[in-house]
Amino acid sequence: MPEPVAGLAGTQRWMQAAILGDGAADGVERTLTASSSLTARERLGIYRRGYRLRLLENMRGLHPGLTRLLGEEMFDRFALDYLDARPSRTYTLTRLDEGFADHLEATRPDGAAHREQWPDLIIDLARLERIITEVVEGPGTEGGPVLRPDDLPAALDLSRGCDLRLETAPCLRLPTFAFPVNEYLAAVRRGEDPEPPAPRPVALAVSRRDYRVTMRELDPAAHRALRALAGGAAVGAVLADPSAEALRRWAGLGYFTRAHRAPEHLEERARR
Amino acid sequence: MTWADTAADTATGTPAGTAAGMPGFGIGLRGPHMDHVRRHRPDVGFFEVVSENFMDCAGGRRRALEAIAEHYPIALHGVSLSIGGTDPLDLGYLARLRGLAAAVRAPLVSDHVCWTGVMGRNTHDLLPLPFTEAVLAHVVERVRIAQEFLGRRLVLENPSTYVGFTASAMPEQEFMTRLAEEADCGLLLDVNNVYVSAANHDFDPVDYLDALPMERVEQIHLAGHADHGTHLIDTHDRPVSDAVWDLYRLVTERAGPIPTLLEWDDRLPEFPVLEAELGKARLAAAGRDPVSALQGVPDA
Repeated sequence: MPEPVAGLAGTQRWMQAAILGDGAADGVERTLTASSSLTARERLGIYRRGYRLRLLENMRGLHPGLTRLLGEEMFDRFALDYLDARPSRTYTLTRLDEGFADHLEATRPDGAAHREQWPDLIIDLARLERIITEVVEGPGTEGGPVLRPDDLPAALDLSRGCDLRLETAPCLRLPTFAFPVNEYLAAVRRGEDPEPPAPRPVALAVSRRDYRVTMRELDPAAHRALRALAGGAAVGAVLADPSAEALRRWAGLGYFTRAHRAPEHLEERARR
Repeated sequence: MTWADTAADTATGTPAGTAAGMPGFGIGLRGPHMDHVRRHRPDVGFFEVVSENFMDCAGGRRRALEAIAEHYPIALHGVSLSIGGTDPLDLGYLARLRGLAAAVRAPLVSDHVCWTGVMGRNTHDLLPLPFTEAVLAHVVERVRIAQEFLGRRLVLENPSTYVGFTASAMPEQEFMTRLAEEADCGLLLDVNNVYVSAANHDFDPVDYLDALPMERVEQIHLAGHADHGTHLIDTHDRPVSDAVWDLYRLVTERAGPIPTLLEWDDRLPEFPVLEAELGKARLAAAGRDPVSALQGVPDA
């Protein structure tokens, strides 16, 4: 019997489009069978509904803060719009929301010339929740090298401290937000029902120690310095005093894995 | 009890193990129960996890799994291999699966006879295949490749399905049987899925079981389903139905003891509820009626 859609690949492309689409697929009765109680189109609808329910449930699980902020109905509309625009291309559901914040940013209703603040709150919260998932799921420092505060004096070698470089933990993220979404999310996680926060720029260090996520707000200058160090800048290039207390504090928080100096030939080239 | 000890453990109520090295009765291990299992070491023969939940994880969940694997066999059950798909097999995925199987010393690696997406997309659903000669040859070839890459036999489950294809030229049980024999793979018989699909496609589940090569069944799954009147849905959110217990007793009468796993994913109850449900499986495998024998066990 010839297959109604040419070959298995064609059948699968057709069926996937029918499941992800708006339910108006052609050729349903030619391709799928009815049962004694449901038409072929009704049976296909089971997969269409199941697809959306399953992925929405996972999106809510990845974004409990944003679900609380928007309410489930509004969150689902944002999430469905995202899933329709960017269907999953990953085998793991923990990456389902990888492009969610970027999608929200790309589809924000205010134009670049007339920015409003409220979309930032939604985008910031989506981005922070994605960062937390990455920190939870990704590599950390457990079982690996961590630079302790006591390691710093020797490592710094103050006479040459300016060219010391620090490797940051693979789980360290240094985002900035227009709203204190970290405070909002912490309140939601405590089981509270917080009011939406007022705008206030925040600079965060999100990391993980002993498999627990940590979030700390840094002052803007410290955040810039830590970002520069994470980007490979030498200590002396970003901190006036290499023995600064900030370095010890950050080492104590497990933000660094090791210290090293640039190879001699690079130092020489830099001096020239 | 250590992982190695479980092969000789008969406290779980069935003869120890099979070729797969999984003794007796197991439970699908979900995140909320991992701490409980680590702390209390329940009397469960083995656990099974969803492979994709751990393949990429480098966090605490993975560490907890590896700790549990020190004391129990851990079977890996995948949902995204897409063995019936028409995109190329994802060798990166297979490499990660192989790595996870090695890390937890998995006695069994399974997935479903289905496809999950094409053109690089993943619907995260177990989508049905038309049962034709051409599709059978396609899936057989992919199973052989996957087995060669993994360096082990793959075990494939019959999924619950909600549509059939006008192009299908053979019943599902014939497709499963020929797939197992031609690809030399194992079968994971999900008794609840047989029941759900039988109701949805108007076939007799006993006929289905009669046709399967039981010697290739390396594991059995049991789970609950929802009755929507016009169709059944495999929901994994409630106790196993009486009708499915009857089918399970039939299978064990005919095939003897096969490692049996209880799956429960949504509306997940406390762990003791799962243990009680697993107790029913032990009774059923011993030829007793688990429903009347365990009156008063809470459903959830």
